[in-house]
Amino acid sequence: MKSNDESLRRLMIRAQRGDKQAYHVLLEQTGRWLARFFSHKIAADAVDDLVQDTLLSVHRKLSSYDPSRPFLPWLAAIARYRWVDRLRQTYKHEAKELDFDIALEGHEDVVGAKISIERLLNQLPASQAAVIQYVKIEGHSISEASRKTGQAESLVKVNIHRGLKKLSALIESE
Amino acid sequence: MDYAVTPTKFDISALVEDLKPVRQLNPSRGLILPVIMTGVATLLIGTNMGWRSDLISGQPSEMFLLRAGTLALLGGASAHAVAAMASPSVGKNSDRWQMALAAAALFPLCAMIAMLSGNFGSALDKMQYGAECLRMSVMGGIGVAVPMVLWLRKGAPTSPERAGWSTGVASGGLGAFAYNFHCPFSDLAYTGLWYTLAVGFCAVAGRLLVPRLIRW
Repeated sequence: MKSNDESLRRLMIRAQRGDKQAYHVLLEQTGRWLARFFSHKIAADAVDDLVQDTLLSVHRKLSSYDPSRPFLPWLAAIARYRWVDRLRQTYKHEAKELDFDIALEGHEDVVGAKISIERLLNQLPASQAAVIQYVKIEGHSISEASRKTGQAESLVKVNIHRGLKKLSALIESE
Repeated sequence: MDYAVTPTKFDISALVEDLKPVRQLNPSRGLILPVIMTGVATLLIGTNMGWRSDLISGQPSEMFLLRAGTLALLGGASAHAVAAMASPSVGKNSDRWQMALAAAALFPLCAMIAMLSGNFGSALDKMQYGAECLRMSVMGGIGVAVPMVLWLRKGAPTSPERAGWSTGVASGGLGAFAYNFHCPFSDLAYTGLWYTLAVGFCAVAGRLLVPRLIRW
């Protein structure tokens, strides 16, 4: 059953008051929503970790939810923040190791997102959006992205770096 | 289009056990301390450095009033944006502080026009006072910025860079507002140069420093 915003909002209000039963239900439903949300945006084998990170963030930042506003946009904002943060961390990690040729396995080439990640990508220059899509979302290597886009490998790295910076800046302006 | 997704394997029971009632972050509450700190900075500067003579005589100049109003608007709108940034949401975007910034940009714009008409030398002649204006505005701004950063750390700002800019503009605007009660000068060129420098310096410092302090 798909959770609707109003029922999640009510559960959240009760959770903010310390109702553990409501919180348990909320986290379960939120976890499912997040798994669906992330399944279109990151390699499949990384979804569970990202859901876990986001649930921990939800737990730590419970007080930042304003009950007079809908719940899912709040959750989506936190989820996107964690998503971009994860992409940046992965990029930094790879940049440190200078090991760009290891492609993530088990990714899904899935289109369509619930809270318009694609619209965010569309706001980037095409050269940046394309390499983020290939490397960070579909899990191809830098050299594959270079072949597909015709960009030099160094330019692919620069475009990923700049694109991720812009993405994080765009997150709250949507 | 729906996708079949395996539910997450994460065990949520530890989080449930750890749950405690929380007090919601109300943006109005996030404004209280910055406003108090602005008042404290104004009082400290006024009592230690002296109040403007036109204030003491009860006849404030037009420039003082205009400057105070613009800086209060700029600082207040930016501080409100900062307070709201602690509670994230997709689709929520306040651009009131940007409008206030556009209004405040009239000062440097007019100063540039004054410069082009050869009227700018007076502002540079007062370099010593201008440097004091810059220093005291920044010091006041730091006092205002501290509670804003603490507020952001409590919340969940999803755009640290933007929060940094807003914190910088807010603290610079309110710090300059505080110094305005002492500042003895009322000419446009001076205001356009030194007050713009003070707000600009704080904005850049906010952008560089604040994001590191509020990441979560």
